[in-house]
Amino acid sequence: MTERIGVYVCHCGTNIAGVVDVAEVSRWAGEHLAGQGVVVSRDYKFMCSSLGQELIQKDIKELGLTRVVVAACSPHLHEKTFRNACASADLNPYLCELVSIREQDSWVHTDKSAATDKAKAIISGGVARVAHHEALEPLRVPIHPATLIVGGGIAGIQAALEIADAGYRVYLVEREPSIGGHMAQFDKTFPTLDCSACILTPKMVDAGNHPNITLLTWSEVVKVDGYVGNFAVTINKKARYVNEELCTGCGICWEKCPWKVTDEVFEAGLGKRKVIYVPFPQAVPKYPVIDAENCAYFLKGTCKACEKFCPTDAIDFTQKDEQITVEVGNIILATGYDLFDVRRIPQYGYGRLPNVYTSLEFERLSNAAGPTGGNIVLRDGKTVPKTVGIVHCVGSRDQNYNPYCSVICCMQSLKFAHLVHERTGAEVYNFYIDMRTPFKDYEEFYQRLLAEGTHFVRGKVAEITDFARTPEEEGRMIIQVEDTLIGKQRRIPVDMVILSAGLEPRQDAKEVGKLFGLACGTAGWFIERHPKLDPVATMTEGIFIAGCAQGPKDIPASVAQGAGAAARVLGKIQQKEISLEPVRASINEQQCSGCRICNGLCPFNAILFHEDRMVSEVNPALCQGCGTCVAACPAGAISGTGFSNEQILSQIEGLLLVNVNGKTTEAVPA
Amino acid sequence: MTAELSFSNEIINMMYATHGNPISLCLQCGTCSGTCPAVEFMDHTPRAIIGMIRENLKEEVLASNTYWTCASCYHCTVRCPAGIDIADMMYVLKRYSIWKRSYKEGLIGPDFAEAFVKMVVNSGKSYEPILATTYLPRFTAAQLVQEALTATGLVLKGKMPLLPKKIRRLKNFQRMVKRIIPLGEAS
Repeated sequence: MTERIGVYVCHCGTNIAGVVDVAEVSRWAGEHLAGQGVVVSRDYKFMCSSLGQELIQKDIKELGLTRVVVAACSPHLHEKTFRNACASADLNPYLCELVSIREQDSWVHTDKSAATDKAKAIISGGVARVAHHEALEPLRVPIHPATLIVGGGIAGIQAALEIADAGYRVYLVEREPSIGGHMAQFDKTFPTLDCSACILTPKMVDAGNHPNITLLTWSEVVKVDGYVGNFAVTINKKARYVNEELCTGCGICWEKCPWKVTDEVFEAGLGKRKVIYVPFPQAVPKYPVIDAENCAYFLKGTCKACEKFCPTDAIDFTQKDEQITVEVGNIILATGYDLFDVRRIPQYGYGRLPNVYTSLEFERLSNAAGPTGGNIVLRDGKTVPKTVGIVHCVGSRDQNYNPYCSVICCMQSLKFAHLVHERTGAEVYNFYIDMRTPFKDYEEFYQRLLAEGTHFVRGKVAEITDFARTPEEEGRMIIQVEDTLIGKQRRIPVDMVILSAGLEPRQDAKEVGKLFGLACGTAGWFIERHPKLDPVATMTEGIFIAGCAQGPKDIPASVAQGAGAAARVLGKIQQKEISLEPVRASINEQQCSGCRICNGLCPFNAILFHEDRMVSEVNPALCQGCGTCVAACPAGAISGTGFSNEQILSQIEGLLLVNVNGKTTEAVPA
Repeated sequence: MTAELSFSNEIINMMYATHGNPISLCLQCGTCSGTCPAVEFMDHTPRAIIGMIRENLKEEVLASNTYWTCASCYHCTVRCPAGIDIADMMYVLKRYSIWKRSYKEGLIGPDFAEAFVKMVVNSGKSYEPILATTYLPRFTAAQLVQEALTATGLVLKGKMPLLPKKIRRLKNFQRMVKRIIPLGEAS
């Protein structure tokens, strides 16, 4: 044994020292592991402090250590700290091993003597392992300065503007004909009651005109290849049937188009649009789209009214879907949310009772640019409601549907109550379970509604029915609910019901996640790298998330997250190149039988197969070192750097050493 | 076990066999009470009863008519957003109340439930005329006449036997019941 190993045992205040006899462990390691190459063993109050790190660095220089074992917290927390400490003392950082005697020992045991023995065993394993470590060099790859942003809602627009303003190219992909997202559909925003379109459209115009932003609307990402810094993304540009170079956005085509269909997307089914259309007047880009499914020319081969009237001959019925590939270094997913389908709760009567509205329908109903010009009327188009019920938590906080709180519904319902009261003078009943108004100026808005005389009934609505029991209920809808603050069941007759439906992950979130190598949580939202400290990064390097794709949130939070994701991307671009962890899998071609079991298992699509030689190969830049393939390979042909068989087996041997050699009389816990 | 269980823990333990979640998960949203078709006859709403159990208000709960009024339609259980089996909780409270011999004066429920269980344990079958003795004394003359007419009709159509019947191998059935009603005292 030629290695000179140093062992450093951390007290972590009382986190470790409260349960493990740290001084004894350190003494034992120095004495009993000397045979394994340990030349020095020390304990220190906080190993991660700069004094603790200096202790290690001093020993490396003065005692000529070639390996370091630190027994402290989990590698998740301080592995980087100690590796960097070793690196600045000119020891290859991968020759340092951090073993956890906190999370895996002191925090989970109460028996002090057994916990001390376990700490010895863990350190013994670390010492045996570190002897087999190799000096590794991180992989350096260049970063392409362009960025792809998927989703042109407010989060995506914000991120795009931040990056473009910093001088880098952005490709902003949007599935719909225009950017703007859900925010473009809203009338007012809470709690300030700003006109949603008035504050959004300047940003949309900026994004549309920005020289660094390439808008790819009516487009979808179909394929993502490559890895952080070097993604090649294939985007399907759906045929618009309008030549964007010739079109001036004059609007004659959609004026002349004789065909109307219900607009299920932008008008939430409340209004109609032409078959050649822009979803709303301030749409960016200004070019219309022909809805081929409903166009008379595509269905019957006749009409062509738009083509006849177009002054610039921009209509092109021969356009085909086009696939383009862009190269980008980073990707931001801001794909947003879907509204909970309120038909799933039959007792709320949506679809059966005509004057039950979803929240999105009401947004359009109250919008001055909406189908009724902002008049809040019933479905007959003229009756102004005298009493309106607003139901909170529809599909949210309910184990039968979505267990989570959708965050925005309380404030949105308060906004609705205010708009109804202001424009119609109707009595408004809000039915809530808990009133959640947690951010700046939100509670003040609730106070304002209380002052306006809105009725607040604490209770989850049991059902909405048109079955009258009294003459007063005749011809109206009755909301049946327990007023839990009074402790009585109440039946409240109303003319209009608004269901504040919750937010749900996009229907295709799972497929999109798979496309980009992201995982979804149990509720279906994309999982962030860390829920507190890294909410915009993901476990896949170079891919970030922003807005409701990560979880329900309101507009300010989406904007903040969009900007946050942009800052992270800019940080990466500025580095010009990125160093990747050298902990990677590699395949020994001599041993590979070409069975391809590993190909399908790799969660990062990092394994490619050479048909000619019938062997698999790992792309080291894509590989994240998870080890799935290493465990799966039936021929044992794959090894993970930093996790070689030799290293793992000697660590196990080391763990067992305490018992095997009978060096302590106390048993090590199994 | 030597430590005295709190009332709420006793009820939670007895509810262990229901398919739902423990009542500690109740949000107090009132879906159960808003849904309940019999709530106007109850002195406390089902939601309030859950709140009272959680706060160990044993006397108030045992003095309530709520669970004796429950019609077992299970609508509350179906709609509960916290996944609590509220209808089965009502049965648990009935059992507890009879076990402790403590319930509101003047209710039909406890007598009816006791008569029903005794009858089924003794014969293996339900027999309406015996059950009727628990509620007939409270009927008005007109109601009694109506009841007699219904009973005659049932007998004439062969839907109700004149004398109670027993099931075969009654002993085995009774042994089985003894195992599943550890409170025992019902028979």
